[in-house]
Amino acid sequence: MTATAQKTADERLVETSALRKLLGRPELGSVVGAVAVFAFFVVFADSFLRASSLATVLYAASTLGIMAVPVALLMIGGEFDLSAGVLVTSSALISSMFSYQMTANVWVGVGVSLLATLAIGVFNGVMLTRTQLPSFIITLGTFLMLTGMNLGFTKLISGTVSTKKISDMEGFAGAHDLFASTLTLGDVDFKVTILWWFGLVAVATWILLRTRAGNWIFACGGNKEAARAVGVPVTATKIGLYMGVGLGAWIAGQHLLFSFDTVQSGEGVGNELIYIIAAVIGGCLITGGYGSAVGSAVGALIFGMTSKGIVYAEWDPDWFKFFLGAMLLLATLLNHWVRKRAEASK
Amino acid sequence: MARVRTGVRAVGAVLVMALGVSLAGCSSTGGKKAEDARKAAAAGGKSAVNTPRWTVAMVTHSGDGDTFWDIVQKGAEQAAVKDNIKFLYSHNDEAQQQAQLVDAAVDKKVDGLIVSLAKPDAMKAAVARAVKAGIPVITVNSGSAESKKFGALSHIGQDETVAGRAVGEELNKRGRKKALCILHEQGNVGHEQRCDGAKESFDGKMQNLYVDGTNMPDVQAAIEAKLQSDDSLDAVVTLGAPFADTAVKAKDSAGSKAEIDTFDLNEAVATGLKSGKLGFAVDQQPYLQGYQAVDLLWLYRYNADVLGGGRPVLTGPQVVTEKDADALLDYAERGTR
Amino acid sequence: MSTAKTPAPDPGEPQPLVELDDVSKFYGNIRALEGVSLEVHAGEISCVLGDNGAGKSTLIKIISGLHRHDAGTLRIEGEDTSLSSPREALDRGIATVYQDLAVVPLMPVWRNFFLGSEPTRGKGPLKRLDVARMRETTRTELLRMGIDLRDVDQPIGTLSGGERQCVAIARAVYFGAKVLVLDEPTAALGVKQSGVVLKYVAAARDAGLGVVLITHNPHHAYLVGDRFVLLKRGAMTGSHLRADISLDELTRQMAGGNELEDLRHELERAPVPTHLGGHPAKPAQETENTGE
Repeated sequence: MTATAQKTADERLVETSALRKLLGRPELGSVVGAVAVFAFFVVFADSFLRASSLATVLYAASTLGIMAVPVALLMIGGEFDLSAGVLVTSSALISSMFSYQMTANVWVGVGVSLLATLAIGVFNGVMLTRTQLPSFIITLGTFLMLTGMNLGFTKLISGTVSTKKISDMEGFAGAHDLFASTLTLGDVDFKVTILWWFGLVAVATWILLRTRAGNWIFACGGNKEAARAVGVPVTATKIGLYMGVGLGAWIAGQHLLFSFDTVQSGEGVGNELIYIIAAVIGGCLITGGYGSAVGSAVGALIFGMTSKGIVYAEWDPDWFKFFLGAMLLLATLLNHWVRKRAEASK
Repeated sequence: MARVRTGVRAVGAVLVMALGVSLAGCSSTGGKKAEDARKAAAAGGKSAVNTPRWTVAMVTHSGDGDTFWDIVQKGAEQAAVKDNIKFLYSHNDEAQQQAQLVDAAVDKKVDGLIVSLAKPDAMKAAVARAVKAGIPVITVNSGSAESKKFGALSHIGQDETVAGRAVGEELNKRGRKKALCILHEQGNVGHEQRCDGAKESFDGKMQNLYVDGTNMPDVQAAIEAKLQSDDSLDAVVTLGAPFADTAVKAKDSAGSKAEIDTFDLNEAVATGLKSGKLGFAVDQQPYLQGYQAVDLLWLYRYNADVLGGGRPVLTGPQVVTEKDADALLDYAERGTR
Repeated sequence: MSTAKTPAPDPGEPQPLVELDDVSKFYGNIRALEGVSLEVHAGEISCVLGDNGAGKSTLIKIISGLHRHDAGTLRIEGEDTSLSSPREALDRGIATVYQDLAVVPLMPVWRNFFLGSEPTRGKGPLKRLDVARMRETTRTELLRMGIDLRDVDQPIGTLSGGERQCVAIARAVYFGAKVLVLDEPTAALGVKQSGVVLKYVAAARDAGLGVVLITHNPHHAYLVGDRFVLLKRGAMTGSHLRADISLDELTRQMAGGNELEDLRHELERAPVPTHLGGHPAKPAQETENTGE
């Protein structure tokens, strides 16, 4: 290479690096989408911009986002978890029923629930890595089993399809404060789940970008064989990712329990897809190896804005799913386009 | 490219033909025209009062495309037209989502709120927030026990256990000995109460059968299998109107002699009652639930009127049989029963 | 034809880094490899030549620890051994660069470079990647191998096939590999790219590593190789020092003597039989560059 060629190359680098750094972020497409959706509802829904409305939107986004974060990590690691939706319900059921049946302090139930959800994560991960079957199949099995167990055990133990009240039990107040309290800023009520959500996004981003485990997650999803060949503990990484989903389900489930006191055993079915949608809108590649935790949060925010924005805009809710599907397609296309542009600018 | 063009042309031709056929082959009975004529006969678009245009939001636990809630909504809309009220409707079958929808309605500062309490504990905080914000709340359909506790003005609906008992008694009257209660939604407390109530007052034996209500062929297969395996069953009770017809089909193909009875009403059920395919139906008059809720909110805002004296206002159970079928069929056809 | 600057192998050299002696491998009753001997010395390139199905990949798998051999001896630095896992091979200083499996395409170059052996700083929950050092080391190590990247943050998938191989080689060198096993590094590459890769193979050799170069291209092998082992249907058909064999002879043996004659005969009828004549000229120039 000649000296002049070298020089032009360097000039190009200076010119494009700032813009390209921005374009290269996986969440860029979703941020553009989120701004568009926000602007849209500000124009079309007059009550959307109120502080209390935004708090409601954030709350809706947070209950979904808490799960979207670990699901996004899992997708970056190249796997799916179809059991994530019902696992949230399982987590709440276990916590509630254990405390009630054992007449134990509520915190004991909370702890048992954490162990159980982590164990289910380990089960998913071990089954996956042992059998080498697609995670779609493995977690579909777990999903169906959990759905059945949620109903079956609840009916067996409580006699009805929902759990008994535990709000008069010891420790409830404290657990309620941790998982389901409301923080009042000015005259606007913010749910504590928003903090959990932000916290999870921050921790997940730290893990992804600044730790060895994060490097391994990208590598597992990007090229499993190459990762294994250079000594990345692929099996442990995948099991860890499923445990992460278990942890997220535990937080979301405890919120469900402590904000509503009783838990409906049949709920949660179908939510796993919404988590995946949030992750995909947020720029996670469905084939793994690419994506970000912040992106999943933006995806959840888009979902929250859309689902509540339709109410604020006083639209017929019959069209909600259509609108959501269109949003998903547009966000994904935008994402795809942005990434193409990012790659072209290199 | 040429292939694509041909494809476009072919599609175009088919569309033109379809349009031609539909224009040429007019039907002189039923169809959209008849429906429009019926609609014109209703109150029209004019309100009967000159109160300010208040906004009322209704948030239910309905799933997507639910026939029952469609009728509730129609009743509410009719009352809204009459009372010069802007009516907003939203629904979600997940408790947490429904609570968030109530939050959203409160954020909108509506003048009145109608909520169904299928999962009362989940709705508690959201309803409390509405009450705190000074929004009058009326609960409908399910939640008669919690309504007052949550600070709602009144509850309009049917006590599911009472409705269940009515079914049990009617089955006794008809001399039934062994019945099947079809639950099409696992985890619905109201459904459990209906079956439990029926079991309570029924002198014969009653079994529960859980089916997947989102999958009709599966519902039919499950009922069919059950009827085949036990030919001593002489009654099948479905919990929703759409499932009655499916149960009839299952009965026919299983060659069973069981009588099909159902909760709730729709056009198909009215037809079935008339033709004798169905024994009886227990209606809770969904139209009335929607209509009354909106009307009561108007009355409250206009005149501070409250109905029920702190007790639930019951819209059911109303047992309907073959002899009521004729009149009901007309109403069911226009989608108000 | 270039004689290059490669010193002729010295028989009085210290013991080989890796030595295979009469090694065999059977899959059930199928002979995958039989009676193969190979020496890998520091600062030398041992080439393993053979057509598809000759047993090259089996040989790699034995050296890199994926399979155990069934007969014969495998010595690493003079010690009889049998490798049980790729990790063990890595720990003993044997790094293998596979043609397809070398890198994770969507990850930045610097993350790929350190994948599996990331340096960290801090303690406990604050233990984190030493990103600055990783970036800097990647840049300087690649530069040392003669690769000048505009940006180590670009996904490695945006590099050319040759560059990717080179990053994998540089990585193995940096992490203290003593023996570098390269599986068909030039197979999918064009002439120019192949030249680039061979340059880095030579650079690794000059850094004092022992290199095993697996290839089916005798021209590429002869450009850099010090020793040549020929495999055919699982058996060793020849083992030569560079001094003992010419490129023509190597090509002839590689293609299998009479078979080549037949092929030549057939090709003579073709209008422009240039494929053997002019080829080595350009890559030879590349080799000249290596020493500079």
